[in-house]
Amino acid sequence: MRLEKSGPNVVLLSLTLVALAAWLGLDTVSVAANRIVPGTGYRVDEVIGAGGALATALPWLALAGFAWRPARRHLLLALVLVVLMLSALPAWLALSAVTLVDAPQARLGIGAGIWGVLFLLLLALIELRTRLVLSRLLGWALLLPPLASAALCLARWLEPLALWQEYRGRSGQFLGAVGEHLLLVGVAVGASLVLGVGLALAMRRWPGVQKAGFGMLNFLQTIPSIALFGLLLAPLAWLSANVDWLSALGVSGIGWAPALLALVGYSLLPMVRNTFVALEAVNPGVIDAARGMGMSRGQVFRQVRLPLALPVILEGIRITTVQAIGLTAVAALIGAGGLGTFIFQGLGQAAMDLVLLGALPILLLALLVDALLGALTDILRPGGAE
Amino acid sequence: MSKGRRWVVPLGWLALLLVATFGMGQLEGVFRWIEADSRQVIYARADFVTLLGRHLLVVSVAAVLAILLGVGAAIAATRDWGRDFLPLVSQLASIGQTFPPVAVLALAVPVLGFGTLPIIVALLLYGLLPIVRNTLAGLEGIDPGVMEAARGMGMSGGQILRQVELPLAAPVILAGIRTSVTINIATAAIGATVGASNLGDPIISGIVNGNTAYVVQGALLIGLLAVSVDSLFSRLPLAGSR
Repeated sequence: MRLEKSGPNVVLLSLTLVALAAWLGLDTVSVAANRIVPGTGYRVDEVIGAGGALATALPWLALAGFAWRPARRHLLLALVLVVLMLSALPAWLALSAVTLVDAPQARLGIGAGIWGVLFLLLLALIELRTRLVLSRLLGWALLLPPLASAALCLARWLEPLALWQEYRGRSGQFLGAVGEHLLLVGVAVGASLVLGVGLALAMRRWPGVQKAGFGMLNFLQTIPSIALFGLLLAPLAWLSANVDWLSALGVSGIGWAPALLALVGYSLLPMVRNTFVALEAVNPGVIDAARGMGMSRGQVFRQVRLPLALPVILEGIRITTVQAIGLTAVAALIGAGGLGTFIFQGLGQAAMDLVLLGALPILLLALLVDALLGALTDILRPGGAE
Repeated sequence: MSKGRRWVVPLGWLALLLVATFGMGQLEGVFRWIEADSRQVIYARADFVTLLGRHLLVVSVAAVLAILLGVGAAIAATRDWGRDFLPLVSQLASIGQTFPPVAVLALAVPVLGFGTLPIIVALLLYGLLPIVRNTLAGLEGIDPGVMEAARGMGMSGGQILRQVELPLAAPVILAGIRTSVTINIATAAIGATVGASNLGDPIISGIVNGNTAYVVQGALLIGLLAVSVDSLFSRLPLAGSR
């Protein structure tokens, strides 16, 4: 894929043109007089005038130009330009806040234009990273300047940003929710790792367990999370009412107990499947060689089979964790806490920025965990990093 | 397994689903036992047949659109003229897999408002990803020798696609569609929190009002629906067995 082609880079070109259309045609920001009323949208030319809007089209045209002649040097310039434009988005919000917001109660919302441009620029970044064959780490490092710019703008000028106000109104609660979310995910993944490895080992020994176990776990996986959470309410409520030590532990029909049970149930399938497949897939020749060297059964397992299977097991942990982060959000419905609380509170009050305050961190958390565990898997793969 | 026997299990689940949907009212005694203190023990704001119908409608509209768009996009990205988009599309499909469905649903509401439309759009977007990913995997996984032979026989690009590529990739594509639909049945239920009325309604209402009987009714029907659809998919002639 690293061919230096003579023709234009169609992907980058179309991304750029669509993004330019979104930037000039959609509302970039909206201003509302207070939290309740819907805001008025402002396009670029309504913030800085038609001349200014035309000037903001220049970097896009430059990007299109680079895409037209995609030599490596041009693509590098395009990469720098994309990073600069990403960093300019928070500055645009800051500029809008300064020019448009005058009343202390007023709130600045992020418009469809900015979201669209952000999404398309990130796609362009992925495309350029692939074309230029940059390492994963460098790809992530490219996001630092935009993040720094966002932090600076938030601290200095973005007082009226609605999302920021929702956060500042409940910053303690927010950190608590992140903590709860991570704790639930961590305990669920940890428990399912222990149970899953045990189950996979049992399945290797007794084929009967394998068939029954996979059948059961597959069946469980098809039951929708909200239904499973709901179905656990009644039995747990009954248990906590009738078994003293369980209620002393804080187990009840609502809260962390049904959430954790359901999370572990869902997490077991990917965990067991990957562990089982990984242990089975180790080349029998390697095992023979190890036995031939005089290793005992236990040694073969610990020193040969497990290290060879580790990347695939880690893959299972990655899938499980990402899935659990999403499911924990649903668990907020049954009072388990976590970031989902903000989503459902926001939906209940029709406060969309509160919904964002819950949904965006969940999204980022999932992406972050996916990237970190993915990188770890690459490192542990026999033969080292990519 | 004989031809007729393979449908026994999915038809059994389907029959159970229908019996539960139409006969929920007859089970009042059972629910009275679960929820002895409540005045009302059968969810009555809408009848279960309507709720099931709406649920199926939303999921199937989203699924049909997702299949058309997803398979179409994956085919486009594997043709000669669209190959430039392949790396981006496949990376997007794999990154998108990490997005939790709830977050996608929640993000659709600020953009599209409350109601049925945002749910269909969110389900469509989320359902696209497994379909695109599996279609790509299926088409890319075809033995180059087979393609070479088809070309050598003088088949045109369209013929190769219809008669060689799609039939060979069908099991993998079907597995993607199955994943997509199963996830969407569950996500649609969460859609009840954003104003769509479907089988999620009794669950949400039950959780809010502390009426476990409602929760059990909704959960039972959604569970049966999900299991029926999943087992139908697993018996389709082209699907590989798990």
